[in-house]
Amino acid sequence: MARTIHGRSEERLAYWTMVLPAVLLYLLVLGFPIVISIILSVSNYNGGKMFGGEPWGIVGFQQYGKLMRDPYFWSALKNNVYIVLISIFGQLPLGFIFAYLIYRKIVKFGDFWQGVLYMPNIISVIVIGIMWAIIFSPNGVIAEIMNRIYAGSISHQITQIFNAAGGFNITDDVVRQLINASGPVAGQTFTDPPTELKEFILTYDPNNLELLKHDLVNLLGTKWTPTFLSKPDIAMLPVLFVILWCWTGLYLILFLANMQKIDGQIIEAARIDGASEGQVMSRVVLPSLSGVIVNAAILCIAGSLNSFALVFAMTRGGPARVTELLSIYMYDAAFFGTPNYPLANAIALSIVILSMILIAITKLVEKRYGGRE
Amino acid sequence: MKKTLFLALVLVLAMLVPMTAMAQATPLRFMYYIDASQAGYAEDQAIWQKFKDDNPDIDLQMEILFNEPFHEKLGAYIAGGNVPDVIYMWPSNRSSSAILHQMHLMKDLTPLMGKQFLANFVAPAINPKAQPSGYLAELPQSITYTTVMYANKKLLADNGFALPKTYAQLKAMVPRLKAKGIQVITLPDGDGWQMQSCLFSTVVGRMLGDGWVDQVIKGKAKFTDPGYVAALTFIDTMFKDGVIPRADMQLGYGDGPTLFASGKAAFIIDGDWRQGFYITDKSTGQALIPLDQQSSDFAFINFPAIPGEKFPGVVSAIQGVGLGISAAIPKGSDKEKAAVRLLQYYYSPEVQKIKLETGAFIPSLKGVTSDALEPFTQMMPKYYAGINKISYVLDGVLNPGVCNNYVNKGLQEIGLGNKTPRQVATETEKAMADWRATQ
Repeated sequence: MARTIHGRSEERLAYWTMVLPAVLLYLLVLGFPIVISIILSVSNYNGGKMFGGEPWGIVGFQQYGKLMRDPYFWSALKNNVYIVLISIFGQLPLGFIFAYLIYRKIVKFGDFWQGVLYMPNIISVIVIGIMWAIIFSPNGVIAEIMNRIYAGSISHQITQIFNAAGGFNITDDVVRQLINASGPVAGQTFTDPPTELKEFILTYDPNNLELLKHDLVNLLGTKWTPTFLSKPDIAMLPVLFVILWCWTGLYLILFLANMQKIDGQIIEAARIDGASEGQVMSRVVLPSLSGVIVNAAILCIAGSLNSFALVFAMTRGGPARVTELLSIYMYDAAFFGTPNYPLANAIALSIVILSMILIAITKLVEKRYGGRE
Repeated sequence: MKKTLFLALVLVLAMLVPMTAMAQATPLRFMYYIDASQAGYAEDQAIWQKFKDDNPDIDLQMEILFNEPFHEKLGAYIAGGNVPDVIYMWPSNRSSSAILHQMHLMKDLTPLMGKQFLANFVAPAINPKAQPSGYLAELPQSITYTTVMYANKKLLADNGFALPKTYAQLKAMVPRLKAKGIQVITLPDGDGWQMQSCLFSTVVGRMLGDGWVDQVIKGKAKFTDPGYVAALTFIDTMFKDGVIPRADMQLGYGDGPTLFASGKAAFIIDGDWRQGFYITDKSTGQALIPLDQQSSDFAFINFPAIPGEKFPGVVSAIQGVGLGISAAIPKGSDKEKAAVRLLQYYYSPEVQKIKLETGAFIPSLKGVTSDALEPFTQMMPKYYAGINKISYVLDGVLNPGVCNNYVNKGLQEIGLGNKTPRQVATETEKAMADWRATQ
């Protein structure tokens, strides 16, 4: 008996000896910053040397209260929730469906599509962010294409109006038709559109109708600008689209790799028994991957709450903070203007708490509805 | 054997000599700010290379960044208690410089550089009360006018317009220029500070004056006062009139000069520092605006008269940027001497002349002139001469949290049409009241 107890304590000592360096390293690298972060979030530390500098102390949960009252916190949280939702209900289902299509060889050139969809993952997110920012810019590709379409449309209408009027015959009716063709644009440019537009047109040389038509296209044509993307409720749409485009391929690879582990005979048997492709996917493949899906969902949630670089490079949380995420909000609190380190740490901890809640929900869902692998 | 020994000795000595030299060199971390795409970048780099060559006992470790990445990196350094030895900084509460002033993280340059040295600068540049630290934490290399209206007078003349003297004249340009595919003014505000720094500060200076700003800081006036709401409403009107397109709120700071130089905008509103962006880059021989067109086709003018202004002609101005020395450097140390030598070199007439010639700024050091100035650089002092009175730049005097998050962002919200001037004023006042409560 004594030998057994001695043996156990020796065993425990051996375990501790082996584990302790890693535990200490873990505490130093992860545990210490977390503890410091908690302390700072309830402190009045405002920069400079932490030890031996200006005195600072614990003042309570003021910053958490400030956070709860700040509309920008809720706006950033809402944007983060959008990203979580597009990740879980966009990236995962799409990644799964694409993986299934390739796995079951329903689409041709599976390797090619796999490569194409995975491609964004091998490009730096900063490059991706800048690239999409240029594409969505008021002077970008989309604006250029849209403006050409708008210009073509109004140019056609203006030509028809002048043709019907028999050339440079500027009557009140012609002016009215031009105003109607412009939609709201004439009203935005002139205080009194019928009078001012007529006066404007009459300054042109009647022999140079083409110049007048060209200028009227500029003056009365709708200019497509992505300003609608700065509206609080839809500003996140391009960001969500880019996130979907960027990371769906990652989950495709994850699901495809795990689908390839499923015994092909099971699927063959299901097909012989009369199961359709949809039934094979939902009744055989999906339950077999439930554990992988949960892990992918956890990755999604962690990645979504962490997402910083892509959105920072693409919009920097702007314009006017409408695409700000919690991580950018935290970054700005710490490093922009007068730093507010307690607030930045309170935001950081709120991200951690939110992650834990979402992961717990995912686990519960898996426990309740998940299959057995 | 002797030959082998001799060769080994030579080898050891060859290794030791540079190591000894390295060991003696005083390391000096220098965080510097410049746009690498700007004309004068090559000359600027040559300035620092000369310093390195002339001072082998100083190991100058430069880190060069531009725009927000500079402020963000410096902010991270400050947060980590790792302040560089010499910093390119702002004399005000602008971004990363705010904490340098407020926490007194920089040395007082008045005793360090000496009265004799500072006597070479124009008086407003060395006024310690103009800096939030209350002492000379940074030596301004210039006096900066933050609102300059760069005008393409040829483009205006081609379309039948003269340089505007009133806002009404500016507004009248909209239909004609729009018909030609030209926007009246470009003022890209995607980064969030330009509208406030380069236009709104002047609007507030003209409609309310510095006295009102002082009262706001003391809590004796409010952002919800009718005058401030009227100033915001004027900005709102500029967007509604189409004088500034709303799309400019989504453009980055770097997009403006290209639009202006390519004739897609008749005016650009920017700081005086930006004139150097258009002149000839001597390393490539290229200029954004060719030398022969600079004075004939362009002009620098004051912003036109604003309806309801109380202080006509006022322009926002502030001490310029410059270098500061970290307070963490021990007094009397070799590092401090190295830092002082760096500043003495940078502010020498020779270096300041190069900066003037490359259009970087008009030096605050007295007597710096050159015969080799491009027209744009010659035009700027003439612009200064036409300004009778200056006003605060708001981000230089307001609390940075209030200014960045409520004034700057509020102006973006107005530009985007998301909020009314009154909403922005109310939110700013609430933030200001919260800040006052913490003081």
